[in-house]
Amino acid sequence: MTTAEFGTHNWGMVVDVDKCIGCNACVIACQAENNIPINTQDRVERARSISWIRVERYWEGDFPDAKARFIPIMCQHCENAPCEPVCPVYATYHNSEGMNVQVYNRCVGTRYCANGCPYIVRFFNYWEPVWPESLRNHLNPDVTVRSRGIMEKCSFCVHRIRRESRNARSAGVEIADGAVQTACSSACPTSALNFGNFNDPESKVSKMKEDKRHYTLLDQFGTDPNVIYLAKIDADKKVGAGEAATHG
Amino acid sequence: MLVPVLAIGGLGVVAVMGVVAAFIITGWLGQPVPVLGFEQTFDQPIDFPHTVHASTKQLDRVAADGQTMEGLGLDCTFCHRTVTTQANAGVPAVNFCATCHQVIGAADNVPLTILRDAADIVGDDGASPVNWQRVHRLPDHVRFVHEPHIRYLTANPSEVKNSTDGVTEGPSGVCSTCHGNVAAMQQVEQVESLKMGQCVDCHRDNGAPTDCAACHY
Repeated sequence: MTTAEFGTHNWGMVVDVDKCIGCNACVIACQAENNIPINTQDRVERARSISWIRVERYWEGDFPDAKARFIPIMCQHCENAPCEPVCPVYATYHNSEGMNVQVYNRCVGTRYCANGCPYIVRFFNYWEPVWPESLRNHLNPDVTVRSRGIMEKCSFCVHRIRRESRNARSAGVEIADGAVQTACSSACPTSALNFGNFNDPESKVSKMKEDKRHYTLLDQFGTDPNVIYLAKIDADKKVGAGEAATHG
Repeated sequence: MLVPVLAIGGLGVVAVMGVVAAFIITGWLGQPVPVLGFEQTFDQPIDFPHTVHASTKQLDRVAADGQTMEGLGLDCTFCHRTVTTQANAGVPAVNFCATCHQVIGAADNVPLTILRDAADIVGDDGASPVNWQRVHRLPDHVRFVHEPHIRYLTANPSEVKNSTDGVTEGPSGVCSTCHGNVAAMQQVEQVESLKMGQCVDCHRDNGAPTDCAACHY
């Protein structure tokens, strides 16, 4: 049995906040990759826009010494996810690859999961998705187009994982470290987003998360996320991992 | 609706419940049947005989020269070229058909005239694809990839169900597991339900993942 077999991975992400420049390339890449409907002004104003990953901006310090800080936030794929036990139809569950999976065809749209999620990374389709005529043929055929009444969220680009594991099994090899890249991590110009297998102690992400800057968002809830953040290093003042954690 | 039903009394209630129950049972258990708007077979733009191309047997079809025809016995992969490498089996381009059929087949053969017209061998309206009707269609929330299935069944011929004219292995035999004996079909039709239960049964029997996210994403 090679490690390309199903269930031998623990997929996760390490986000180096120190490298994030807030360019939003990850947001656009995700939007294009995962057939996310276009967020019109009307939808944003009604707080019903959908973006599986967002770059939150906040200010540190007072003017004129204020510093812009960015932190990309996507589904944290919690090992102990608050969204999972509340679903009455098991449309969201944790699979053996460390991912929090949303099964669109099971979802009945109760929205309990979105209410349970402390990270606000689950989005409900209030409308049937519509694209302009010029974009109709630009949809990704590997990703389901979610219809009205379905909850959706970051899938860790599971279609890319499936594709790479299929290729690896076909070639009879293991999935190489870095072979699977999510849309956001491949678009990130500063390598702030890193995707990989936590089960492999030699993988890039496993080594990165040993960094003493590491923290998880809203650690006090005990959700045990599979997305690990590395704290921002400020040249002016010393910011420890504990202090950075409170910004989440 | 309920009030007039109650007015007719017990028999009316039972009758309505019976109709509702019959509707649910046929919808849930039944194959997609033409009554519900799903056609099992389609009228293809060209009456394409899989028998002539894929069968290995003597056919009861008579060629233009009066000889009874024998199946060519082509592998499925001869025309459906991407099935061993990609998600879709692929329908050949009309020029691929024309490779043989610009020579083979009588000049006045009606279906072949449609094909040759589409390939711009006859006629003068340019090349155009043939608008084949898709027979096997899975719902949009299912991701089915042919490649791993073909690979597994080729390596494990004992898991192949059905057969293609008695052949259960190799590039023509394994397809019969889900598609039936296409080589014997004049017009291709769906023989297996291809519902999730069938997928899961087979995945379970063969140790394939039964995780939802294996197919639904």
